[in-house]
Amino acid sequence: MNPRPWWKTLGHGGLLLVATVYCLFPIYFMLVQSLKTAQEDVFGNPLIVVHPTFENFAELFEQAGRPRGFVGNVLRRSYPFLDWLENTIVVFTGSVAVTLVTGLLAGYALGRLRPPGFRWWRRVIFATYVIPHTILFVPLYQVVIRLHLDDNLLALVLVYPTLALPFCVWILSAYFQQLPREVEEAALVEGAGRLTAFFRIILPMSRPVVVAAGIFTLGTIASDFTLASVFLLDAHNQTIPAGLATTDVALDELLAVAGINLMAIPIVLICAIFARGYVRGLTAAMVEGA
Amino acid sequence: MGGSGRPPNPPLAARGAPAEPWRPSTRLRDIRLAYLLLSPAVLLLLTVLAYPLGWEVWTSLTDLSPLKSGAAEFVGLENYRRFLADPEFWRAATVTLAYAAVTTFAKMGLGVAFALLLARPFRGRALVFLAIFLPWAYPASVSVIGWYWTLNPPISTAYSLVMGNVKYAVDSVLGGGAWSFLSVTLFNIWRGSSFIGVFLLAGINAVPPELFECAVLESKSAWRRFWLVTVPLLKPFLALAIFLSLTTAFADLANVWLLTGGRIVYPVIGTHAYWLAIRGGQFGPASALSLMLVPFLLAVLVLLFRAFDPPERERA
Repeated sequence: MNPRPWWKTLGHGGLLLVATVYCLFPIYFMLVQSLKTAQEDVFGNPLIVVHPTFENFAELFEQAGRPRGFVGNVLRRSYPFLDWLENTIVVFTGSVAVTLVTGLLAGYALGRLRPPGFRWWRRVIFATYVIPHTILFVPLYQVVIRLHLDDNLLALVLVYPTLALPFCVWILSAYFQQLPREVEEAALVEGAGRLTAFFRIILPMSRPVVVAAGIFTLGTIASDFTLASVFLLDAHNQTIPAGLATTDVALDELLAVAGINLMAIPIVLICAIFARGYVRGLTAAMVEGA
Repeated sequence: MGGSGRPPNPPLAARGAPAEPWRPSTRLRDIRLAYLLLSPAVLLLLTVLAYPLGWEVWTSLTDLSPLKSGAAEFVGLENYRRFLADPEFWRAATVTLAYAAVTTFAKMGLGVAFALLLARPFRGRALVFLAIFLPWAYPASVSVIGWYWTLNPPISTAYSLVMGNVKYAVDSVLGGGAWSFLSVTLFNIWRGSSFIGVFLLAGINAVPPELFECAVLESKSAWRRFWLVTVPLLKPFLALAIFLSLTTAFADLANVWLLTGGRIVYPVIGTHAYWLAIRGGQFGPASALSLMLVPFLLAVLVLLFRAFDPPERERA
């Protein structure tokens, strides 16, 4: 049945292999690093780990504040990793929630209710992506201080959504716009309010798009490190990226790599679980409509 | 994986439905409700972006500096004029544009390749898809650190010697700092191609397979088919991907570059502005410099809006 000649199948397989290795190698490399003892890190083969150990991970959770001994005559600090973990969870959950709620509201307004000039509203919101962020944190810091949010996790919950919101509003409103009117009409005719129609009909239908928006948000905010390290100063107040940036990597390279993996694993898992919905949502938002 | 070629045909009757003539009072209420629902998002964007943007525009017209005593003076377009006459600026602008163009080109190429590789079902497709999804899903804030320490390793690891040699070889040919710059580029391409690959796969999933089959009958050349069928069908996805790639190329660069801590051998507008502001204390010129990219990005965006605006369906 297969009309493709064998060399095409082989070529396809070969390319797939190359693509997989290209994508996974850096991640594999970091994972291997984090499982090494210092001994092996220096003398072993960089590509494999012979005696995997979790001591780097365990070390991250050691009592904060106690020095961990010396390298030469340099003191190795320890870091409040548990606090960082907690802060990261708070900030990420909060930001994704804020983004999704405001994005859904705005998307519904633009795609469904269509106030005059809704196309331009959407375009202007999306155009905020052209604002250069390079030195934006200088005035942004003034805003944060004015709101009394300096060195406060809420500052990030406020700022992070703006990194992903324009894209989310775009795909959500595009999806809502393409849903045929009849979808809601039946419910509206029967006397249900817009609110009921939204929760009963629209929201369940648009689940993949909401997933897509959520995953995009998570991926975007998880990649920030500048804002986190600018706004969170106290060591106990930092998120993992900001905290890891303060580690002394030259001394604690293995520890830092373990921290990287600890942060990445949950996020990668969440993304993997929703990967299918993510793709379906993007498809639905951009072309499919109903 | 990912939609697995679900036929994406909404019923045609639904598409052509004309706009419902709502009673005016309902319409008015709808509009009011729309503004109400829109307000949280708009407020959020205004709080976070409006003041800083205004500050940046205003500052770019003054000589504001924490190093200067007294109030900032209004200098008009002086900051901009100085840059336009400065060969260093043009060098930075060239490097920035080249960087954006090279990474976008590479990301689009790889992304299209990934999407086409995954377009048809085969055994293990879900796993390969996940592998391609991972570089984007792996948080860049930390993978950047990993990349940096991999490409520029600390002295004490087993691979330091190898990577050190690579670094010096590249630097000796292209000048100091070239390897750091290259590693930033590689990282950007690695992560970006993953996002674009997955994004375009979502686009390919939306194309009815019959269309590709028809195309095979029409033309034998896969190259022609790609340009005449695949590209036009994916237009909205390609346009959006190009735009997002350009903005990340301009924006992301500064962060990553700071991390590599490289000396500015290849000045880029972002890093240039950062150094002027943070190290030089010259907020005026720095603001002007970072705003100079805006017209360019805005022009690109206006061109691309045409391609990815949701199609009008309910207008007669």
